Amino acid sequence: MGGYGDIQMIDENGLRMDGRTATQVRPITIETGVIPVADGSCRMTWGTNDVVVAIYGPMEAHPRKIQRQDRAVLDVRYNMAPFSTSDRIRPGFNRRSREISKVTADALESVVLLELYPRSKIRVEIEVLCAEAGTRCVGLTAASVALADAGIPMTDLVVSVASGKVNDVVVCDLNKEEDNYGEADLPMGVLPNSGELVFLQMDGDLSPEEFQTAWDYNVQAASEIHKIMVEALRKGGVN
Amino acid sequence: MSIPMVSKLLRAHLSELATNNQRIDGRGRWDGRDISLEVDVLDRAEGSAKVTMGDTIVYAGVKFQLMTPYPDRPNEGGLMCGAEVRPVAGRNWEAGPPSAESIELGRVVDRGIRESGCIDVNSLCIIPGEKAWQVILDLFAISDDGNLFDAFGLAAIAALKTAIVPCEKFEVGEDYPLNVSKTPIMCSYHKVGNRFVYDANAQEELGGDERIHITLGDDNHVHSLQKGLKGIFSADEFAEIMERAKIKSSELRKLVDSVLGD
Repeated sequence: MGGYGDIQMIDENGLRMDGRTATQVRPITIETGVIPVADGSCRMTWGTNDVVVAIYGPMEAHPRKIQRQDRAVLDVRYNMAPFSTSDRIRPGFNRRSREISKVTADALESVVLLELYPRSKIRVEIEVLCAEAGTRCVGLTAASVALADAGIPMTDLVVSVASGKVNDVVVCDLNKEEDNYGEADLPMGVLPNSGELVFLQMDGDLSPEEFQTAWDYNVQAASEIHKIMVEALRKGGVN
Repeated sequence: MSIPMVSKLLRAHLSELATNNQRIDGRGRWDGRDISLEVDVLDRAEGSAKVTMGDTIVYAGVKFQLMTPYPDRPNEGGLMCGAEVRPVAGRNWEAGPPSAESIELGRVVDRGIRESGCIDVNSLCIIPGEKAWQVILDLFAISDDGNLFDAFGLAAIAALKTAIVPCEKFEVGEDYPLNVSKTPIMCSYHKVGNRFVYDANAQEELGGDERIHITLGDDNHVHSLQKGLKGIFSADEFAEIMERAKIKSSELRKLVDSVLGD
């Protein structure tokens, strides 16, 4: 959070720089089956974020030391392509992508029925081709759609969305400027059917009231995004 | 890349098809798969392209950085080209440091572009000895069904031709389009069932032998060659694919020109 409170990002009518209201999310498109060689795949655009996810597996888990006798292991990799940001990113794993890979795996492990596939591995490959803000949310959401496209049993999809604070106003789904100069960011991973959570992070500064508002905005947005996910899966032939 | 076991049945099947002048997906010997080229597909890149050849899908993105020219070449900027085939692109591609295969991919494409002279490195100089542009071309595969070389080569030249030099972002003047004066095109031939074919798919690569990559410039000048994998070929075989490459590269050059609206 940059915390540059003097940059005006909300106008007198309460509209944001890109014309959205406080609770409005950026435009979202989801398409399944975009990677022909994968067992399941998904492309999600969210604002100018552009993320593809491929699923491979369940397959033999090797090396053998990673195998679990009673369940499958999820091998999740989140990565940003070198040309996905304003300044080029040097290829290779870094601390940020490693952490996001881990929390994404932790979230997905909570919904995938891993015990159905002992000693196997399911690979989840998240590639950010174009980043705006909230790529971890796009990656997690798209990964759950891709897992469904691969026919992997899950208790629920995961919808991930972030709300935050800009110019002391709580807003849903931060864009690039809001993310850079805003005062707080609260990404969550919601299970749309039960309302339970599998992913939660936060940084910045929120009062208890602001925190509750941001939380409620996320839950509300998640149910809207869930409809788009289900529609994309139906269109791709998954029920 | 982990090399999967090659079934003897697949090799035998490919050989049998070859004796009947057929291919595993029904194509003729010199036919390519359906190809599509889109440009300006990535918002954050200064130039970009997406190429789909059958089930092979790749992106190329161009970024710019300021560099200090090398002391022995004070009037020149730089060109850097790298290929990444991450595990997203197929079950045999593994995570970790760049594999020998992806390094070879990047270097062969790099040589074709560099040696064609399509980018005038002198024009990339801003202040001699002090400041110049480094053009960074990143090739990125998301679906590998064979012949990443040609897909990368095509995406690379198309992305460069759409690139805008971001002077305003770096506060060194006004943005302008990168000058790319030529259109080098790579054509790859794989030995499958003891004869060369154009644009092998993943099965043909797996059950085939050596491969040869030829990059030709506008005037059919040769700019890069690479023979990869185990295999022996004759001068006559090479002469035949060179003639085929001349025909194919001019077709693909027309595709690039039509997409870019030249």
